[in-house]
Amino acid sequence: MGDMTTEGASISAGIDLSQFYQVFFEEAGENLDNMEQLLLNVNVEAADDEELNAIFRCAHSIKGGAATFGFGDVAELTHQMETLLDKLRRHELQPNAAMVDVLLQSGDALRAQLGRHQGSGGDVIDTTDLLVNIKRFVEGGGAPAATPAPQAAAAPAAAKPAPAPAAAAASATKPGTRLLEMQVGPLTDLSLADNLVELFKEITDLGTIEPLDAGQSSDGMRRFKVLTSSTDNDLLDLFTFHVAREQVKLTPLGPGFGFYDGAPGAPPAEAPSADPGYGFFDEAPGMPAGAAAPAAEAAPVAADAAIVPTRPATPAKAESKPAAMDQTTLRVSIEKVDQLINLVGELVITQAMLAQNSRDVDPALYQQLTSGLADLERNTRDLQESVMSIRMIPMATVFNRFPRMLRDLAAKLGKKVELVTQGEATELDKSLVEKITDPLTHLVRNSCDHGIEMPADRLARGKPEQGTITLVASHQGGSIVIEVRDDGRGLNREKLIKKAREKGIDAPDTMTDAECWSLIFAPGFSTADVVTDVSGRGVGMDVVKKNITSLGGTVEIDSAEGYGMKVSVRLPLTLAIMDGMSVGVGDECYILPLSSVVESFQVQSNTIKTVAGSGRVVEVRDEYMPVIELERVFDVPRFDFEHVSSIMVVVEAEGGRVALLVDELLGQQQVVVKNLEANYRKVNDVSGATIMGDGRVALILDVGSLVRRSRH
Amino acid sequence: MEASNVPALRQQGAVTAKSHGPKSGEYLTFRLGSEEYGIDILKVQEIRSYEQPTRIANAPDFIKGVVNLRGVIVPIVDLRLKLNCPSAEYNSFTVVIVLNVKNRVVGAVVDSVSDVLELNRDAIKPAPELSAASVDTSFITGIGSVGERMLILMDIEGLMSSAEMGLMDAAIAA
Repeated sequence: MGDMTTEGASISAGIDLSQFYQVFFEEAGENLDNMEQLLLNVNVEAADDEELNAIFRCAHSIKGGAATFGFGDVAELTHQMETLLDKLRRHELQPNAAMVDVLLQSGDALRAQLGRHQGSGGDVIDTTDLLVNIKRFVEGGGAPAATPAPQAAAAPAAAKPAPAPAAAAASATKPGTRLLEMQVGPLTDLSLADNLVELFKEITDLGTIEPLDAGQSSDGMRRFKVLTSSTDNDLLDLFTFHVAREQVKLTPLGPGFGFYDGAPGAPPAEAPSADPGYGFFDEAPGMPAGAAAPAAEAAPVAADAAIVPTRPATPAKAESKPAAMDQTTLRVSIEKVDQLINLVGELVITQAMLAQNSRDVDPALYQQLTSGLADLERNTRDLQESVMSIRMIPMATVFNRFPRMLRDLAAKLGKKVELVTQGEATELDKSLVEKITDPLTHLVRNSCDHGIEMPADRLARGKPEQGTITLVASHQGGSIVIEVRDDGRGLNREKLIKKAREKGIDAPDTMTDAECWSLIFAPGFSTADVVTDVSGRGVGMDVVKKNITSLGGTVEIDSAEGYGMKVSVRLPLTLAIMDGMSVGVGDECYILPLSSVVESFQVQSNTIKTVAGSGRVVEVRDEYMPVIELERVFDVPRFDFEHVSSIMVVVEAEGGRVALLVDELLGQQQVVVKNLEANYRKVNDVSGATIMGDGRVALILDVGSLVRRSRH
Repeated sequence: MEASNVPALRQQGAVTAKSHGPKSGEYLTFRLGSEEYGIDILKVQEIRSYEQPTRIANAPDFIKGVVNLRGVIVPIVDLRLKLNCPSAEYNSFTVVIVLNVKNRVVGAVVDSVSDVLELNRDAIKPAPELSAASVDTSFITGIGSVGERMLILMDIEGLMSSAEMGLMDAAIAA
């Protein structure tokens, strides 16, 4: 809150605020996400106070920021939301599902408004309906709001004008320390006021607070003596989290007044502005004791006030800082991080080059050099890992969007669906997270639309009425595996094969289940009997598969009819650097992604058998595998004609295995993946290139394409 | 496929030649066998000595492969093979002109680089009408004469991005 006023002040100082816009948009976005999460979790029958408060705080923060930066439409909408939320958290209104819906819609509208302000274009967002709806809820609860007491009727009337002059006074001066009497109430639960005392303990710069009534209260009112350097507005904003603004009244206390008058910087306008507050105070019927209190307490307070000047006024400035100071995160543009990653990539190459060139150095003679190089190697690897981890973000950022989507979708389809997520903390490269979001959204939609049955059907099949969609993310080796599971109707083998044949796809009855399920990845394939606006048009699964394949990932489907279906997406952790195995063929060197290498072994030429004269297979532990000679695939020139390749590297991709025949295994190293297409074009069976320790380029093999090659 | 593409290409080449025109300016001259060529100096990024590139399987023979240019993977085209020079030897004088065309980096192998010449308009004669037997003439924009020397001025950007070169995917070359 302190921040806000500081920024507010800077408007008048003519400082360009636009530099803070980005921060505001990001924070507002986070607040919106947070609010949506909280709203979705609210149990309307028995809403938790803490949750309601948290939602209120989100709306309040957005409103504050929007008003500061002059986004009137955002501020207006959040203001109305705040009003409704305020009533909810004060239990003047009972939350219901319709309110949650309106609030969620408002959240969407806010997001759109923010997007528009951020320059993504679009029309002005019409929020009239939302505003009317919210107001209706607010007023609909007006009747119960009046019940609390006669005081309540009087108090708001009296309280309303009070903060205004006080605020005027506060903004007019940068106040030093002053002494205030604070009245809180009427409260249904008196212990709420004790939260304020706690607040002062937590925020040490705020000042001191002492109860004036020793915890006793006659009429639901509590009175405190406050010694503070903050403005009334700041205090009220802080208190808002515990008690409503209207319930707090701040009045300068006797000696505090004197202090004010004495302050040389205080404009003369201030005393009168505070005066009406006093006047109101006297008239307020709910607090007869209030008027007497300042007088009665004046003497001891004077003693306190004597101490006041010894406390320097500097805390006034410091008060607004803590929020900014204990920030533990840093927002950095993605380009900077990418540049860092590129540089580290170059460093890795240079290090590998040094390591290779120093292999022949006698360690006895150049002990320091070799130990230095060993240090360099270790530090380079550590540096690389830390830099790569900057880009890693948890899967939760993807998963968090699904509860909302499913809620809307399930409501639209008339289904009951529960979402279970596991492994949200699993981390994945940011660029991958962005690219995987759409395919995952599609899979979840599919599960909800096609997988989960209508509640009645589920009951008829003896399943629980509510369907479950489970999202699981986990690390497996060098990859991340994301599973989308549902307990719906599953895939029907006969139906799939029938559809496939209608589409002219070759689908023999002897297909394995895995092959059968993968039919749904064919373009234009849909098993839905009815096309809905959600899915069923048959555009989708092929796109999902294409997108995931382009990320170097794979998709697998497992299904049991009547019990559900599981789609597993396997992705590499990062696209920039990978572990590779270098193999030699003739004089050339190729890189195999280590993650796809299963094993390697030496073969005798007689264990390679031919099939139909040309196809060659090798027997590995009772399994016959197609053999691919890299020499032939890449047309490697040979000068030593007697040489016979005798090493097999078994690689696995897309559910198939092939044995690659190579001359020798050269080693394993981390390689920085470079794009061949940047300056050249796509090369068959090659997924990219890298730079070896000696500065030469080596091609990285596309194992998926090699496996496909063996199938045709 | 090949046959139908060729006339279209020639036309495209001719258009490029016309629009680029034989313009005055600085030209980098180099030798391919006994012929001397000139290209727009602004397309040249740097000149390096030849190093053995990494071969790319199933590429046309004039694409020698790719090299590492300070962390960037750059394809290497041997212009001598592309322009049908009788011999293409790799010795200590063989150089690679690193070109920057259409935001891509490409290396071109030539026998030797001579010098940089300023050519004004009247030193540039229009390209002669050669028989269409050789497609490559479409990328010749004019003939520059400097004293006794005859320079064949070439639209290197058009040549490098042409489909028959196969250096770029069709969408980018267009």
